[in-house]
Amino acid sequence: MPNLHFSNATWRAAMLAAMLAVCTRAQPRATPSITYRDLLDGLKNPSRWLTYSGDYTGRQHSPLTQLTPLNVKGLAPQWTFQTDMPVAGRGFETHSLLLDGVLYVTGINDHAWALDAYTGRPIWHYRRELPPKLTYCCGPVNRGFGILGDRLFKVTLDAHLIALDRRTGAVMFDVPMADYRQGYAATLAPLVVKDKVIVGVAGGEFPTRCFLDAYDATTGERVWRFYTVPAPGEPGSESWPSQDVMTRGGGSIWVTGSYDPELNLIYYGTGNPNPDFYGDDRKGDNLYTDTLLAVDADTGKLKWHYQFTPHDTHDWDSTQVPVLADVTLGGQRRKVVMLANRNGFLYSLDRATGKLLLAKPFSKAATVWAKEIGADGRPVVINESGTADACLGDQRGSTNFMPPSYDPALNLFFVNTRETCAVYVPIKPAPGSIKPGERLMGGALQRYGDPYGAIRALDASTGERKWEFRYTTYSMAGVLSTASGLVFTGDSEGNFIALDSKTGKSLWHYQMGGPIWGAAPTTYMLGGRQWVLAPSGTTLVAFALPGAAQ
Amino acid sequence: MGQRTTVAIALGLAIGLAGSSTHAQNRPASNPRDGDPAAIREGLSIFRARCADCHGLDAKGVRGPDLTRLWESGASEARLFQTIRSGVPGSEMPAAVASDDDIWAVLAYLHTLNATAGTEPLAGNADSGAKIFQAKCAGCHRVHGYGGVLGPDLSLIASRRSRTALARKIRNASSYVAAGYEPVTLVTRDGRRIRGAKKNEDAFSIQIMDTRERIQGYPRAALREVIAEKRSLMPDFVPDTLSDRDLDDLLAYLGTLRAPAVTRR
Repeated sequence: MPNLHFSNATWRAAMLAAMLAVCTRAQPRATPSITYRDLLDGLKNPSRWLTYSGDYTGRQHSPLTQLTPLNVKGLAPQWTFQTDMPVAGRGFETHSLLLDGVLYVTGINDHAWALDAYTGRPIWHYRRELPPKLTYCCGPVNRGFGILGDRLFKVTLDAHLIALDRRTGAVMFDVPMADYRQGYAATLAPLVVKDKVIVGVAGGEFPTRCFLDAYDATTGERVWRFYTVPAPGEPGSESWPSQDVMTRGGGSIWVTGSYDPELNLIYYGTGNPNPDFYGDDRKGDNLYTDTLLAVDADTGKLKWHYQFTPHDTHDWDSTQVPVLADVTLGGQRRKVVMLANRNGFLYSLDRATGKLLLAKPFSKAATVWAKEIGADGRPVVINESGTADACLGDQRGSTNFMPPSYDPALNLFFVNTRETCAVYVPIKPAPGSIKPGERLMGGALQRYGDPYGAIRALDASTGERKWEFRYTTYSMAGVLSTASGLVFTGDSEGNFIALDSKTGKSLWHYQMGGPIWGAAPTTYMLGGRQWVLAPSGTTLVAFALPGAAQ
Repeated sequence: MGQRTTVAIALGLAIGLAGSSTHAQNRPASNPRDGDPAAIREGLSIFRARCADCHGLDAKGVRGPDLTRLWESGASEARLFQTIRSGVPGSEMPAAVASDDDIWAVLAYLHTLNATAGTEPLAGNADSGAKIFQAKCAGCHRVHGYGGVLGPDLSLIASRRSRTALARKIRNASSYVAAGYEPVTLVTRDGRRIRGAKKNEDAFSIQIMDTRERIQGYPRAALREVIAEKRSLMPDFVPDTLSDRDLDDLLAYLGTLRAPAVTRR
């Protein structure tokens, strides 16, 4: 076969010539390629949403102010995008990226689309040919793209990382992260830092050893890997009883982390140890499960770690979005990373050192489990498994992977909270039942009472609750706040809701027809109007004020 | 619902699933109807009704690939069956709902066409053709990661189009335009003209990739006119701009393009 290894310069020159041939009049400008500088700028350009949380801080907070507590009641749907792939109970968990009037959307079963952001009409559609017998634990979902240059990055249910051409949806590289047949899957939205694509794998419900990876955005080659369960002899290995247990220790990473460019540290929460509920065979703290990792973005070396739930037997993954902010604590301004954990405590840590600065329960269930977080940073556990009279929060936790938001002007942290009641019943795995690719929970739950949920506004300096808005059942919706004093979220009954961020008063709601689950809304300016995009079931709905400036 | 009923339904589902799985696993590796005159007749009939719109009455490819060189390219019959059964991700090829027998019949018919294929001339120098491609085609067409995206990716073109069809397309670019690449000119209310390839449209909006490779949607209300162009965005390479010899070289090069743009590692 002849050598057709054109250089980029060669084909760009050819392309320019071709463009000149077909351009008869002045054409609109080309869409800019996204740079690391653009990603650092976060939401400064109001017509872009370029990373999972909008920017590297994980705040899910928009500076936009066209929509206000006074006019939000006029918000109306502009279009609905609907897939033809119903999956019971699980649908869009994606945060769509927006660039130059086009939304880039990932969906269930590794479908993806480019949509005209003004109309919701598809421009291209990507579909992956997936192998049979996938081993994802909790629905064939995906949480979004990362972007750099003209490439979109996405992980897949069979634990690959792929790059798509932003203009066509064509695959540019396709690399395996792990063997899906062993119990690995991937669902998170990649985080692009400099020239690297940061991703992790799910699989904590299977006997796996999970990791955080960085890949070269151009070649797809792996640059570094940090195993969330150490190898024998490595720091942290002393928290496991044996090598055999460590090789199937779990510690999945399935929610996008945050990044501090000044410290060059990325922050990711890790999942539960395996088996989820049975801990007698894995005595010890089981590092680095249920842990916040601070990792050097260039090398993958661990700078510090903080474990929220040592030796977890509740499936309380700590895969919540870490939120970076400057907060006054004890009268002193501190650079912190905050995380509202599945165990029911809001934590604030010095993000340079990992020193615990604040830990305050935000759910009733948390106070049944632990009296407090002690001075040594460990929970003072008073009830490990729960009883019918003193039950714990269930395995989905006091909150979960749905992103919270943080409003720096109000210093309020908004988190959807679950108040549930369960007793944990560990069951020793039968001899020979621990096999690669076989789901292994090691127990079950007995539930009591009527669970409910509420979005709660917490003072980031004290952890005190300022207000709550209650739902009839618990919500798994993410949260978006805006600088104009709005909080957008949703519930499991399908209501998409706008609240006053100072008071929690309900200002507007719209019935979406399906639960709002896992993802947060996003907002951006388009054609002079502020839009809000919300996923629900297998639909995306875009809202704006009718009649605003075009 | 009583417990017994639930168990019965669950068992029925389990048997149904197991049955279909066993059926898939037992599917023959080669066509059990190959060479059967009745199957070939059935296959011809089904092909004309269900496949010819995209693949052409002669199966040499229109919107869909040339199907007359499948066996020559080394495709297995089991793989061809699976492609028809599951469709092709990222393309217009849908998953078939036909019976296994019908799919084997279509393959039996296609095999008869493939037996007489392979008679096309193989003139031309592929190395020289690669240089011509680089100079004249790569601005709009991509091969294995290099080139423009305004036109279709040609990494696999040799397994999708016959040499004859490619020659016709190069000499007369507007003889056929692939779906998703239809040329269109949008005239805005202030008189700007935006030329590109149509990606989607409805009564109220149109989505295109313009000649700068910008994908974008436009509300029809903001446009004075939407002109469906008759001429392809691709120029005609007539003998004055591409000699017969250069065409042979280019076709020889295109004939080598059989590898997917990206290999799943």
